[in-house]
Amino acid sequence: MCLVRRRLQRQLPIFVGYVVFELVQFAALFTVYLHSPFSPVIYKWTLVVGTGMGSVLELGVIYELANELLLSRSALASVLRPVLQVILALLVLGAAIGSGALSEISVQRVTNIFQVLDFSSNLIEAGMVLALFIFARALRVSWRSWIAGVAMGFGVSASIDLVSASLRAEWGYRAFIPADLTQMAGFHICVVIWLVSLYLADRTQLFPNEKLKISDLELWDQELQRMVQR
Amino acid sequence: MTIAIIFIVLGLLALILTIYLAKGHLSKGGDLEKLATQLRTVDVGAFCNLISTSEQQYLREHLPPREFRIIHRERMAAAVEYVRCAAHNASILMRLGEAARQHSDPSVRQAGEKLIENGLRLRLYAIQVIPRLYLSMAFPKARPTSDILADTYDNMSRQVATLSYLHFPTHGMSSAI
Repeated sequence: MCLVRRRLQRQLPIFVGYVVFELVQFAALFTVYLHSPFSPVIYKWTLVVGTGMGSVLELGVIYELANELLLSRSALASVLRPVLQVILALLVLGAAIGSGALSEISVQRVTNIFQVLDFSSNLIEAGMVLALFIFARALRVSWRSWIAGVAMGFGVSASIDLVSASLRAEWGYRAFIPADLTQMAGFHICVVIWLVSLYLADRTQLFPNEKLKISDLELWDQELQRMVQR
Repeated sequence: MTIAIIFIVLGLLALILTIYLAKGHLSKGGDLEKLATQLRTVDVGAFCNLISTSEQQYLREHLPPREFRIIHRERMAAAVEYVRCAAHNASILMRLGEAARQHSDPSVRQAGEKLIENGLRLRLYAIQVIPRLYLSMAFPKARPTSDILADTYDNMSRQVATLSYLHFPTHGMSSAI
């Protein structure tokens, strides 16, 4: 509601779509859970399909963030697009290797698919968000605070999920409940980061003075003269 | 077991790095006055001289090899410092561009946009040029770099001047020039 009210769906439409999807997925899973008699198979398949769709949307959000941050700038697009493609390819490769090595622990087919999807999407997501932040830092690209908040939320959630997915894969059923709790906590932290950055977006301006003052410009002129001695 | 531990460590590292790198973006904007004082002097002419191929050729022909190598290393180290200063200034001017992007006048916004674009280009060149300068330091026969960096820096300087000029009419101060 907060996103739509502030018309932020124009800036990051896929992200808003992802938030709506998460709500729908929760409603669907909750309905299946309440349905009597409870069917674990339906619940698991709903979860797997939801995780798959959620992963695709999450990748879409990362593309949206990359576009907003780097690729929309003509000076960077030609150089950074292939670099990001290589990073993505390496992460997919890493996810494939990791999934192959870790998924053997699972005994149920549906759970296995869920684990592979969960682990792979989190590895790719965490890696891509980190790569975006590293590029932004190296190039000193300014990110408006709420977009940085969205990326940070995704990064934090994906990193925590990656740790818990690895724990679950390693220790099997014993780690299911702690891993689920950790993942839930990670997601809640992510939502809190989004809400805080949305709240800050209203208050934060790049510079306190909306319009540059004439004295500022004179100062810049002087600095410019000092800076370029030709 | 080993693979799981590797991914657990990777996940924790990613978490720490993400928080560390995101912190800077979430902080509030700075003060233009403070930023202006952080600018470092860059003599574009001197930088062009340092990376000039003809200058390098002249020194090679007129100095003994050992002395040439020492002087070349010093020249390249100075050039690296120039590039670092230019990249630092570019990041500050990009923030000026960001401020100009919030202006009501479209021409100022456009000038700000150009400034950001050139700043990004310059920082990108700097990332590529610094390793080449170090390479030239190690292997004096390697050509250090092109003049693109100097040209871009010059462009940026001109855009700041344009930006300053564009602000005057908006404040009704054109008569003061």
